[in-house]
Amino acid sequence: MTRPWAAPCALVLALLAQGAVAQDAVEQEVEFCLGCHGEKDFATELPSGDKMSLTVDRGTIAASVHGKGLRCTDCHAGMGEIPHPERAVKNTAEFHAGFRDACKPCHFDKYALSVDGVHGKQLSEGNEMAPGCVDCHGAHDVAPAGKPRTKISDTCAACHPDVADTYMKSVHGVALAAGNQDVPVCSDCHRAHDISDPRVTSWIVKTPELCAGCHTDAARMSKYGLSTNVVQTYLSDFHGVTARTTKARGSAAKEGARVTALCIDCHGVHDITTTRAENSPVLRANLVKTCRKCHPGASESFPDAWLSHYEPSLKKAPMVYAVKLFYMIFIPFIIGGLVLQMLLHLWRVVVNR
Amino acid sequence: MKETFVRFSRRQRAEHVLVMSLFIILALTGFPQKFSDAAWARGTLALMGGVEIARALHRFAGIAFTLLAVAHVGTSIVLVTSGRVRPSMIPGRKDFSDAIKTLRYYLGASEEQAKFDRFDYRQKFEYWGLLMGGLLMVATGLVLYFPLFVTRFLPGVVIPVAKVAHSNEGLMAFLVVITWHIYNAHFNPDVFPFDPAIFTGKISRHRMEVEHPLELERLTGKADAPPESPKKDA
Repeated sequence: MTRPWAAPCALVLALLAQGAVAQDAVEQEVEFCLGCHGEKDFATELPSGDKMSLTVDRGTIAASVHGKGLRCTDCHAGMGEIPHPERAVKNTAEFHAGFRDACKPCHFDKYALSVDGVHGKQLSEGNEMAPGCVDCHGAHDVAPAGKPRTKISDTCAACHPDVADTYMKSVHGVALAAGNQDVPVCSDCHRAHDISDPRVTSWIVKTPELCAGCHTDAARMSKYGLSTNVVQTYLSDFHGVTARTTKARGSAAKEGARVTALCIDCHGVHDITTTRAENSPVLRANLVKTCRKCHPGASESFPDAWLSHYEPSLKKAPMVYAVKLFYMIFIPFIIGGLVLQMLLHLWRVVVNR
Repeated sequence: MKETFVRFSRRQRAEHVLVMSLFIILALTGFPQKFSDAAWARGTLALMGGVEIARALHRFAGIAFTLLAVAHVGTSIVLVTSGRVRPSMIPGRKDFSDAIKTLRYYLGASEEQAKFDRFDYRQKFEYWGLLMGGLLMVATGLVLYFPLFVTRFLPGVVIPVAKVAHSNEGLMAFLVVITWHIYNAHFNPDVFPFDPAIFTGKISRHRMEVEHPLELERLTGKADAPPESPKKDA
């Protein structure tokens, strides 16, 4: 008697059993290590005199994303032997440096990105203050980086307190603190692993694209009554044409050279406010001061040269609208008339022949 | 040898060459700015070495165009008021009746063709179009060149007004040139493939007879009025 379901069933059972065995092995090893490292005040002294705590909290590691899948020795390679082999580390910094590549075998994609990022470059240049994986993600308490989203700005704030403070007072930061999920956190603009140096021109000229990412998203902007036309109106004016065509030349832009007014030059960066705020640099009362940053000597009427992201219409800039409308009628009228006369002439030439 | 008539003076020929060259430079450096979101525009700008260089070239050519316009208007006023040339470009009532006559002829409603003097109504239309459009381009171009200075005296909105006018007037001038002017100077079956008069300054007796019979009569004294010392034409 044949049982066609026997083979698949056996396979499933075998896989489950193997999973259970693997799970058991992880738990066994963790329990084994915690035998010593679970002790409170388990510590050692490094040659520099630094006291190094070696205690690992059982609850922390169990709650981390690695709690149920990784053995201790997956990260602490070579520590499977008891007693542990001697290690030639002089101080805490060197001890931590030894773990920099620990995440690489499993998270190679992120590792490769961060090597090229601004932090990775600082590390390779010998700046020991620059963060590696665990400085942002945690070690035994490793958890999803963006849950909740406020965690991201808190993480960056640990090393960048001033800019984080400015950001938290901005229209985006205040909304974030109030639980808004639409506003950008640090990594939305700066990225997480492949962070660029924000001071170089090749990056600065791309910032309008960053703003456009959200500010042209109709679904998101409609919630706040914001126009999605802001980017197009910017790009079609002088500053925008310069920004757009300079961007087209890519990194050919001279590093450090001032390109043209970008979104951030009028609206601010980390300190960006709503355009209605009393201290907003783009409020009409403050605008001339903002223009004068690049156009010293600008008169009080100079800011009106800019239509404040509005398309000309009967209500906004009726003069501009009227001239535009005039040409929309006049150009086809003139060209149409001339072409018609050309065709009539040709027609007559043909008739004459 | 074929008998020829002087159609354009040395000064007029030089003016044409200059205005043609400047027009090409201004169009090449201007339209990529107007249409900067198009791939061809960005390619053209990159070829020129960037928008800043295109703008510098555009302003340089614009200044040259301004000087040319001022020189042209100045000399024309002096020559006409001093009586050294006839004001042959001034449009009159005859130009309207000529236009109607010509259109009726084209449509086959009449076999009578208008007889033209030194400049026909189409040439006057194109001349005044270029002159007025050119002066508008100069004025709006200067507003865009010196926005800080201009807004010391005028409201800020003149800048976007000047921009819309400059950009559209330029587009219209370009379209008129590539349709109407190219047709009349090249594709018109009467002159195809090329009317060299504006470069050589000369025109044949046959063309004078067909295209400018009234002028021919005046020059050769066949008209009723006896010729005084014939004036040079402008």
